Amino acid sequence: MEISRIISIAISMVFINNFILSKFLGLCPFLGVSRRTQAAFSMGIAVIFVMVFSALLTSLIYAFVLVPLNIVYLRTIFFILIIAAFVQLIEMVIRKKSPALYKALGIYLPLITTNCAVLGVAILNINEFFVPGAPVYAGILYSIIQAFFAGIGFCVALLLMSGIRERLEFTDTPISMKGIPVAFIVAAIMSLAFMGFSGFKL
Amino acid sequence: MRDNLLVSTSPHLHKKESVKMIMWLVTLSLVPSGLAGIFIFGLGALWVMALAVAAAVITEFALQAVTRRKITVLDGSAVLTGLLLAYNLPADVPFWLPVVGAVFSIAIGKQVFGGLGQNIFNPALVGRVFLMASWPKYMTTFVKPMSYDAVTSATPLAALTEGKALENISYLDLFLGNRPGCIGEVCILALLIGAAFLLLRKYISWHIPFSYIFTTGLLSYVFGAKTLFAGDWISHILSGGLVLGAFFMATDYVTSPLTYKGQLVFGIGCGLITVVIRLWGGYPEGVSYAILIMNAATPMIDRYTRPRIYGS
Amino acid sequence: MKSLIKEFSKGITVLNPTFGLILGLCPTLAVSTSLFNAVGMGVAATFVLVFSNLIISALRNFIPARIRLPSYIVIIATFVTVCELGIKAYLPGLSKSLGIFIPLIVVNCIIMARAEAFASRNRILPSIFDGLGMGVGFTLGIAIIAFIRELLGSGSIAGIGLLKSNEFILVMILAPGALLTMGLLIALSRLMGLTKR
Repeated sequence: MEISRIISIAISMVFINNFILSKFLGLCPFLGVSRRTQAAFSMGIAVIFVMVFSALLTSLIYAFVLVPLNIVYLRTIFFILIIAAFVQLIEMVIRKKSPALYKALGIYLPLITTNCAVLGVAILNINEFFVPGAPVYAGILYSIIQAFFAGIGFCVALLLMSGIRERLEFTDTPISMKGIPVAFIVAAIMSLAFMGFSGFKL
Repeated sequence: MRDNLLVSTSPHLHKKESVKMIMWLVTLSLVPSGLAGIFIFGLGALWVMALAVAAAVITEFALQAVTRRKITVLDGSAVLTGLLLAYNLPADVPFWLPVVGAVFSIAIGKQVFGGLGQNIFNPALVGRVFLMASWPKYMTTFVKPMSYDAVTSATPLAALTEGKALENISYLDLFLGNRPGCIGEVCILALLIGAAFLLLRKYISWHIPFSYIFTTGLLSYVFGAKTLFAGDWISHILSGGLVLGAFFMATDYVTSPLTYKGQLVFGIGCGLITVVIRLWGGYPEGVSYAILIMNAATPMIDRYTRPRIYGS
Repeated sequence: MKSLIKEFSKGITVLNPTFGLILGLCPTLAVSTSLFNAVGMGVAATFVLVFSNLIISALRNFIPARIRLPSYIVIIATFVTVCELGIKAYLPGLSKSLGIFIPLIVVNCIIMARAEAFASRNRILPSIFDGLGMGVGFTLGIAIIAFIRELLGSGSIAGIGLLKSNEFILVMILAPGALLTMGLLIALSRLMGLTKR
């Protein structure tokens, strides 16, 4: 548990290996929900929340169920089921306890199940922090941290994009570029700009 | 008729003429530093400028003709984009590099969004980071100043990044531009003459340049050396593309925030990102990336620094 | 027979997943750095599409409506795992370069969308052809992007170098090049009227 490693994970997940702009994980919601800032904000918060908790659950299941039973090869099936079940549970709890929150986040929750960023971070965690010989509890902790900052990176890109797209609605963009194509161009330029952080070393 | 109904964000200018005039005056204010660049690096610098400007103008004309839009190449904005791109290139690049960069700047950085006043990012910087990502070798090979032959040399910023003190280069050299670097960024004196002109005529406000340079100086003083509060902040301000970027590119009306408060946030953000990339990033210089990232954040900054109506 | 051909061909033309529906973007952009990787990904996704469509269509009268989505996920994940292990065993190089995008086929929206929209309400044979068509359409889309990026970015086609030079547009095989190519190709396909907007 070193501070410098946590800072490196944070910078890497938010800027260098930003899930959307560099790894292309979660592009569908990025294009689908970035038309309005309010919606983008709700989606971003929901994604951070789901990513952190599913990282915790998947790393626990991996370390204490899959590895002891020697069924690591079934991890994809287990992980996607855990994520789907967790999202379903959250949806039911929120609907019961807080109708206001449900109204704000409700429709985004089912979308998150098929958001590859959530499953992506779970698999990345396992590949990076659960190599043989690494301490298990540190692995779980780093997984949560990595998931949190991956979610922050997702949220940052989504919010910036939504601000830009709200402005683009008033511009005289050529008709064949309007909507999705120009959003891709903006994402490409943002990705170029974020490349400035590559090679980051404390 | 269509132009009369165009909805645009402030500043609302009265006449189309005034946009045109500002563009040409900004171009004029860049002339001293261009002359200094030619004097320092030789005629190669002039070639790079001419090619970039020509390619930018021709691309703008061609795209407007193909999409059947109003031809506006004489408004000076394409010339300005080409010139700023050239100022961000080393003098000794292959002839096609400024051409490709200028085409990319105008096509992807500007016309895709609908032309002047509608782009989200500074077009010249879009071209520059594209070239930087595609041909890093040419973009980071700098010729030695005042030698007029292709002797390559490391920039002062590269030495600063590695935490070394600058040995053969005095502050006066940095101020006058006697150092390796990009064509238009080296001569701080010439840049300041142009910047003073723009500030005095009130074409740009002090908020972005001041907050940008102040933040960069402060943070490089605090973190720029092995121990805290010992960084060589003067060299950090005088080297790299900071002065060029802060006065001439970060202040672009279209891609920076509208309110003074927003502009201060913009400048501070630029300074922060610049120092982070300079001190800890893989690239020696972070000005272009910092300005582009803050360009992306501009709609968000505008959203939260919008003047509130009393009582709402 | 005619209708089967129709089910097959719609995935390649009007409902092309990449350019028409704009689905399954993550693998399309991430692994299109070379033609070889792209075709590998396309074949893997086609395999999963065809078999999950087959099983889901065969079981469509037995799966209760309330738990249909979790059931689809399990079926799809099973074939993805088969695929993942197969590639790892026989094509270790491909497995390495596709990385986490093989397990991520599970959340590829195309597969879920075809399960829900087609396989769950059609008979087995049309479902197989639908999956095959969609898979071929996806493979074509990803291969076109990979062809452009590989040619411009490293000057080769399917790993065969054309020119001995390194003056290529390096950025095309990096992340920004993928986004740029995708944006311009969608605009182009709109201009040519291939897909509706």
